[in-house]
Amino acid sequence: MKPTDNIYLPKTAILDQVIDEIAEVKTFYWHFEDEAEQKAFKRFRPGQFAQVSLFGVGEFPASLPPSPTEDETFFTIRTVGSCTAAFHQLKPGDKFGVRGPYGNGFHMEEYYGKNLVFVAGGIGLIPLRSCIVYALKHRDKYKHVRIYYGSKTPKDLLYTTNLREWEVAAGIECRLTVDRPCETEVWTGNIGVVGSLFKQPGGQVPVDNTVAFVCGPPIMFRFVIKDLLALGFQEHNIVSTLERYMKCGVGKCGHCCIGVAYVCTDGPVFTYEQIKKLGENI
Amino acid sequence: MKARIIDRADVLKIVDHLRQQGYEVIAPFSGRGRDTFFEAVTDENRTHIQIHLPNPYYPPKRFVIPHIERLLKIRKSNGEMLIEPTYDQPKRAIFGIRSCDLAGISHLDRFYLGRDFRDIYYEKRRKNLLLVNIVCTDPDQDINQECFCMCADTGPAAREHFDLQLMDLGDEFIAVAGTSTGEEMLTHAMFRKGTNAHKEKRCAILNEVRKHFKTTTSWFSAAVRYVSQGKVLDKTWEEVGNRCLECGGCSNVCPACTCFTVSDRQVGTDEIERVRMWDACALAGFTRMAGGHNPRQAVHDRRNRRFFRKLAHYFIQRELSMACVGCGRCAAVCHGDVGMPSVVEMIRRSATEIDAHEANR
Repeated sequence: MKPTDNIYLPKTAILDQVIDEIAEVKTFYWHFEDEAEQKAFKRFRPGQFAQVSLFGVGEFPASLPPSPTEDETFFTIRTVGSCTAAFHQLKPGDKFGVRGPYGNGFHMEEYYGKNLVFVAGGIGLIPLRSCIVYALKHRDKYKHVRIYYGSKTPKDLLYTTNLREWEVAAGIECRLTVDRPCETEVWTGNIGVVGSLFKQPGGQVPVDNTVAFVCGPPIMFRFVIKDLLALGFQEHNIVSTLERYMKCGVGKCGHCCIGVAYVCTDGPVFTYEQIKKLGENI
Repeated sequence: MKARIIDRADVLKIVDHLRQQGYEVIAPFSGRGRDTFFEAVTDENRTHIQIHLPNPYYPPKRFVIPHIERLLKIRKSNGEMLIEPTYDQPKRAIFGIRSCDLAGISHLDRFYLGRDFRDIYYEKRRKNLLLVNIVCTDPDQDINQECFCMCADTGPAAREHFDLQLMDLGDEFIAVAGTSTGEEMLTHAMFRKGTNAHKEKRCAILNEVRKHFKTTTSWFSAAVRYVSQGKVLDKTWEEVGNRCLECGGCSNVCPACTCFTVSDRQVGTDEIERVRMWDACALAGFTRMAGGHNPRQAVHDRRNRRFFRKLAHYFIQRELSMACVGCGRCAAVCHGDVGMPSVVEMIRRSATEIDAHEANR
């Protein structure tokens, strides 16, 4: 970014395709109208985010679920507020604004030679998907790769195509769980919270030389952290990504500031050691 | 630094000179009672400009970051979308800005133009802004009960950040240039050379003025230390929170508060504006996310937030400047009397309690 650039100016993006994921959650494939813009944007890191503009409604921060190693750019968005609800109304061909990528992201190259453990709950898989795909693309750089993913019911599992691939892929272990089965789907897998997967036979979590990525709702986060610490994880080896009300994404509007950290520029990726020191609720 | 003398009767010629040079000149005026305000100078109101008056509550910050400011104009037609940033780069001078507000603008400079991202809207407004500072020397008019610039080390006479500084010596004013633009102004025929006697008089007046501040030394630096060390009791923050009416007034009158919110509004059938507005961390919606989750719900958390942001050593180091300039506006407008000076006092008492507790352990 040049100093003369306008940090609040979104660039025009065009929606290509919309895919239903689960209830209230859709994946939106899109590209920038300007090719150079698309190329520049593709240099994002896993864990970074973008500001999405629906002109006339507003702007919201959205995680980037694609890995930079993939060709497509897309968002996976749950409808929670007015902006996301309006976004869900978009049809292929519609235009909207995107600026970014912002935030520190996960520095995946720092974890070369380590075991990676991904623990996701619900739509917490959205930001972690980027790291998982990245890690699988650079599979030889990492030792064990484990994915533990839990959702409320089998109907609430995101990225089912990816999950099926990951379950059978060589060199990774992907374990799924649901809080409760539902009538419409057959479920033969584990039932219980995501932490219950850690105790499964053969599912031992590597602890030494391991980085754990944790992302999910606050309650799941609290219990998983407890489990991981009990397993012997050190606080600086647990990383997560936080979400906050945000207006600018570039450290100016002040909304996302927790303690001394701006989630938009100092985060959204923090180690548990840092999160603990922020001094406020998550 | 270059200094010159100008007759009292000629001081407003500086305003005329600036206007002739194409500046829109903003100056302080007096309304009914305590009402004072900054306004653009016209031929009609020129003679009503006030040299000495209580500092207006609505800070001159709005001339660098307006209360409501348009960022973008978006036109939609036939599926096309045109996003156009709208900039405002006026040639503007503020005549009569106080030392505390100068420090405020300097803080905003460091915040909006510093670190990784530069705010181009701020930059353009700031670029052609000329600042003529007037030193507060009239104990009856200029200095309020709540002023604590001496404690924040921003006044009564600013040492930097101005183009030109004027100080009332009685029949004359001493003018000091702070920038090359200011120096150039001093070459005008209305200024003449001063003598050592002028300099001595300036010092004497400043020494006298300093005695009129109610709060000369407070516990500001101690408060910074206590907040940074986490030595403030939870119950103290709760006390502050209990007295906060959640009006956001402190942030709105603060010359150094930087937070804003962004909103879109429809201005025509196919035209939309994106605007930003000042925001206040005291307001309940400040951190509320879509879906209703609000990590900072309790009012004392939000009060704590404002004082932490202003007093924590980390932020002072981050911007190399402090987000409180000692203007005293928050103290003057707060209905619950939890402006900065009273909170600093509460923090000091709180930390003393902790120290006493630790000593007795």
